[in-house]
Amino acid sequence: MEYFIQLVIEGLATGSIYGALALAIVLVNRATGLINFAQGGMAVLSTFVAYALFDAGAPLALAILGAIVFAFALGAVLERVIVRPFERGDPDTAVVVTIGLFVLLGGVAAFFFGYEPRQFPSFFGLETLNIAGVFVSLRSIGTIVVLALVVVLLQVLFRGTKLGLAMRAVADNPVSASLSGLPVSWLLMIGWGLASVLGVIAGVLVAPQLFVSPGMLDFVLVYALAAAILGGLDSPQGAVIAAWFIGVIENLAGAYIDIVGNDLKIAVPFVVMIIILIVRPQGLFGRKVVVRV
Amino acid sequence: MKSLTRLTTNRWVRLAIGVAVAALLIVLPLISSKFVNYQLSLMAVFAVAILGLNIVMGYTGQVSLGQSAFLGLGAYIAAYGVTEGWPIPLIFLLCAVVPAIVGLIIALAAARLRGLALAMVTIALPIIGIPLAKRFREFTGGSQGTTVRWLSAPEWNEGFLENDQWRYYVVVIIAALMFLLARNLVRGRMGRAFRIVKENEAVAISIGISPYRYKVLAFTIASLFGGVAGFLYLGVVQYTSPETMSFHTSINMVAAMVIGGSASILGTIFAAIYFVLVPNLANEINPSLTALFSGAILLAVLFLVPGGVVSLPRRIAQVLRSLRRRGNAPARDAETPQNPSDGALAPTATGPKSTEKNRKRQGQ
Amino acid sequence: MMNLRNASRIGGVVATGAIAALLITGCTREGDGDAGPAEASPGITDTTLSLGISSPLSGPTAGPGSCTVAGLYTYLEAGNAAGGFEFGDGNTRTVELTYLDDVYDPAKAVSNFRQLVDDGIFAYVGALGTPTNAAILPIANEDEIPQVLLVTGATMFSSDQETNPWTFGLLPTYYSEGFAFGELLAERGEVTVAVLSQNDDYGDDYVAGFEAAIEGTDVEVVASATYEPTDPTLDGQVTELAASGADALLSAVSVTPLQVGVLTKAQSLGWLPEIFLPSNTSTPATVVIPGNGAAYPAVYTTSLSKVPVSPTFAEDEDVIAFNEAFAEYGAEIAPTYTPHCAWSYAEGAILEQAFLGMTEPTRDSFMEALHSIEDFQAPLLLDGITVNTTDPTLPAIQGLNLVQFNGTGYGPVQ
Repeated sequence: MEYFIQLVIEGLATGSIYGALALAIVLVNRATGLINFAQGGMAVLSTFVAYALFDAGAPLALAILGAIVFAFALGAVLERVIVRPFERGDPDTAVVVTIGLFVLLGGVAAFFFGYEPRQFPSFFGLETLNIAGVFVSLRSIGTIVVLALVVVLLQVLFRGTKLGLAMRAVADNPVSASLSGLPVSWLLMIGWGLASVLGVIAGVLVAPQLFVSPGMLDFVLVYALAAAILGGLDSPQGAVIAAWFIGVIENLAGAYIDIVGNDLKIAVPFVVMIIILIVRPQGLFGRKVVVRV
Repeated sequence: MKSLTRLTTNRWVRLAIGVAVAALLIVLPLISSKFVNYQLSLMAVFAVAILGLNIVMGYTGQVSLGQSAFLGLGAYIAAYGVTEGWPIPLIFLLCAVVPAIVGLIIALAAARLRGLALAMVTIALPIIGIPLAKRFREFTGGSQGTTVRWLSAPEWNEGFLENDQWRYYVVVIIAALMFLLARNLVRGRMGRAFRIVKENEAVAISIGISPYRYKVLAFTIASLFGGVAGFLYLGVVQYTSPETMSFHTSINMVAAMVIGGSASILGTIFAAIYFVLVPNLANEINPSLTALFSGAILLAVLFLVPGGVVSLPRRIAQVLRSLRRRGNAPARDAETPQNPSDGALAPTATGPKSTEKNRKRQGQ
Repeated sequence: MMNLRNASRIGGVVATGAIAALLITGCTREGDGDAGPAEASPGITDTTLSLGISSPLSGPTAGPGSCTVAGLYTYLEAGNAAGGFEFGDGNTRTVELTYLDDVYDPAKAVSNFRQLVDDGIFAYVGALGTPTNAAILPIANEDEIPQVLLVTGATMFSSDQETNPWTFGLLPTYYSEGFAFGELLAERGEVTVAVLSQNDDYGDDYVAGFEAAIEGTDVEVVASATYEPTDPTLDGQVTELAASGADALLSAVSVTPLQVGVLTKAQSLGWLPEIFLPSNTSTPATVVIPGNGAAYPAVYTTSLSKVPVSPTFAEDEDVIAFNEAFAEYGAEIAPTYTPHCAWSYAEGAILEQAFLGMTEPTRDSFMEALHSIEDFQAPLLLDGITVNTTDPTLPAIQGLNLVQFNGTGYGPVQ
């Protein structure tokens, strides 16, 4: 039983990492209706900024804060300068632009820091708690708590603030939002900036475990996309719950189903995702969208 | 510019260009080094794979990020067939049919999905495919992959064509046939149905075209092309391993397809050239910074020609026109350069309804 | 919209593309196969020799990949700056190294190999990666181009000299690393072991070597798990293995962050086995110290080279020479140290030995010389580990020292 609980908790912690990036994806999708591969690149580059600041002697909290500021600026600037011209065009082209950004930002990070993974300190220390025979690391708890906090903050932003409401309006219908006098241009930039901030939070959470390297989020990004879509793209809680679900089910399947084993456990969440999507194309928590002619 | 356009529309000029190109394609491998022949052959391989991608994504509007899985499947089938000593026509047939069936089964389930959900299902294909390939190592050679010595120049042609030249001709001929097939498909009734499904599914239904059926069809065809490309891949590279299926290959193919030109047969050829040449170019600039330059090149090309390389002539004409107009009335046209995807490019195959489609995608 | 005009323009495009390809590569076909026996092979003149390598210089394996270039480049450039390399035919030559990035993609590696051959390399040396080298292997042997001193521990590159006489490896195989650890435990008597390995040939060779060494002894494998190099974390696997409570853990993990994760996770679960780490993920500064390896009763690894970044070797002559030259030539290519930097530096010295034995400027003579090195003490290799190439079915370096972590670096096993 302890073993089972152990696996579940580890799954939740891993899932939280996917969840943080999934939130970023949901946010950009809400703000701009794009699937954004650049998310991974922005997160990596910003995490490197945290690393560089820490390496230069800044306290960890300050380094992370600096990275968050950088991430916001990076997201906003990239949206305005590079993505903006393609937003109204063919969506496939826009997606490919974000692919280009993803590759480019990884290259920029590699140019400054190389590809060899670098160690990054954890905010939560290495201690482990033993609760009735179940070992839980502070880091896992910390990751889960931070993610839960972020979800709450996002809910407050989107439901309770003018800014959030305006951003939703832009996402739903840019043309009428612009007609009703909303500063669409600024709102789009802020949307990307916020998403980029979520990305760096994911990056900083995962960095003590994966280390900082240009490719650190490549696979996390794929899981995060799966979580975002499984959760229904317009639902932050949905994305997080889906991410936890993915982390847990992957661990359990690897440990308990012999034919799956550790080599095929990666396939399990994706197969489950496909089945769920076929049954419920809008995702677990998504709204059903009726396409109007 | 105008006289140039007139020149290219002249039937005789076009015929002459066609003959010249065919002659070039035939003569080129005879005078080129093995390296150049390998590059050209690889272009043919990926042209076929990207052509399949273009049918499902460019023409039918269904995002697919899993084409590399079918490429890998085809290559594995070919490798297994070669090691078992099966006759080449049988191998070719299996390379086409098996991936098509796999694609059909997946499409039957997935074609009801839209936009991102569909993208995700297709992303999952290479991610599931790679550990599967490692698991079934009796067939695949596991992570060490399978090396073959295959498709060498036959004996009767001893002393005439070398292996690399022979492989080039085989691959280019098969690729050319696949292109012919695709051209006929997209020009015929099926192609029209694809385009209508892409434009507006409700309209499709109202005129008796089942979007579901045509999406499944497009997917199946794309998988078939992917499988054939896998066959060609093994012929050119003589090796396959789980890396062939890599998700990055899929992403790069999508990028190349858009850069070449979505929903365009001609654009697919540009796409394959881009796909093969850009890594070389990046290596040429600085081998330690290939990622940086690949990304930069991709963005630069999209900024210059957002409609893909295939729209280059139109794009040049557009820029020239706006320059000329700016000379007369500078104020009116100031918006154009900042917004390359809006302006005169809109009436391409992918242009006009894109905002509507954009919104549809985000919904799911 | 596909219309007639577009379709017939296809031709023009292909032509342009083909011409572009030609321009970029700028090559025409060479008449090959008409060289007499004593005539110089391509890539060598009386004053120069050119070598080529294609390794992953971007992507997840770029760290080790860059080091396979950087160490070799350092050795060669330092030699060139000191006046060049002496050859067995009496000439002194400068040796140029051309390197390309293959992103660990086999098709790209083949393309790079073809390009290097086109550019006129004499030999292809020191490339990293099993799938990439496996894809090149048949071509290199078909075209009779040396593909030697490969930085991979897979057995396939040296074992079949009948079919592949132009290919052989540099490093001891993963098999022999696993075997060395098995031997150590076999002396102990009854021991239970948990095995964690990568789900590919790398992991399999490791486990196979280990199992061969413990066969018929009281050492028992009580739990095993595998992982994919792309897994974001191995916490699940470690938890599974910890449940066995084994005395020792063979952690054949080749990815640095994952290996650190294994070390931190096992102790956080209260499981403190003796640990064995593979040579490429055992660097104290990047793996054992961050993973708090001192918590375990013992951490072992195999080692064959001195560690230039470790204080243990700070006074060593080889290390001083290496550090000085590396700062000048190699640091630009590989900003971070991995053991591959030291290995490929030693590889440069092995090449120099081969050059000394080359009596003719041909690839045949080079291969012969390369296969006639006996008991050569290459720089940076630990005392007692020598280079022997006379048995072509074995890699150039076969010896391994089993070493134990002592809090800052590695010392003899206690």
